[in-house]
Amino acid sequence: MTDLLQVEPEHQFDDAFYSRAMARIHRFMIALAVVLSAGCWYRFGRWSALGFLLGCAIAYLNFQWLKSGVSHLADRATHRAKRQSGKGIVARFLLRYVLLGAAAYVILTSFPASLRGLFAGLFLPVGGIICEAGYELYTGFTGR
Amino acid sequence: MRYLSRIFMALSALCFAMPAFAQGGGAETNWVAITAGFSMAIASAVCGLAQGKAVASATESLARNPAARPGIQFALILGLVLIESLALYTLAIIFLKVK
Repeated sequence: MTDLLQVEPEHQFDDAFYSRAMARIHRFMIALAVVLSAGCWYRFGRWSALGFLLGCAIAYLNFQWLKSGVSHLADRATHRAKRQSGKGIVARFLLRYVLLGAAAYVILTSFPASLRGLFAGLFLPVGGIICEAGYELYTGFTGR
Repeated sequence: MRYLSRIFMALSALCFAMPAFAQGGGAETNWVAITAGFSMAIASAVCGLAQGKAVASATESLARNPAARPGIQFALILGLVLIESLALYTLAIIFLKVK
């Protein structure tokens, strides 16, 4: 009976590997922001790089708030929430868009030259996820 | 919720009403702006529906099986990010084409 309940070592490795995926995505996002901002500065100039960096900062904040919102939602669904109402969670989820829109508006009115860089920076989480997918493919093929 | 949906419907009607009042006789219609507005509206609506579906399924799964929380939460975050990025693609294309 106890043999049936034991998890096989390879599955334990899989669980540990995938549980670190979110931390890896964070690291990929930071690395991408630094590397691509430098490349943007070199290729398109200072203002585009600044716009890209600001877009990256907005995208990173958005990702963090989304993660905390999903965590609160999961707490609520699994009845682990302290005393938080459902309306509060939804309001915080929606307030994310208001705050990000206000930040983007301020940036656009202050630095109109950095518009394209700002939009490119907003796709930072997608870049992080693509890097994570590539890393998982690599580890899958090499068997490390 | 019904009250909120009525407010949003009234706001959307007002958004359509303002350009209609502003049109003068003989002026050319700016189709790029109109199609940009419609495409953003469609993208936002479909992404909102998709996010709602994803969150509903995830919360249902979490309520049924709380032990599977890490995997479900991770998949939900990834799904929401990718769905949001689809709306962002539309916004970026609209900004680049209309500007």
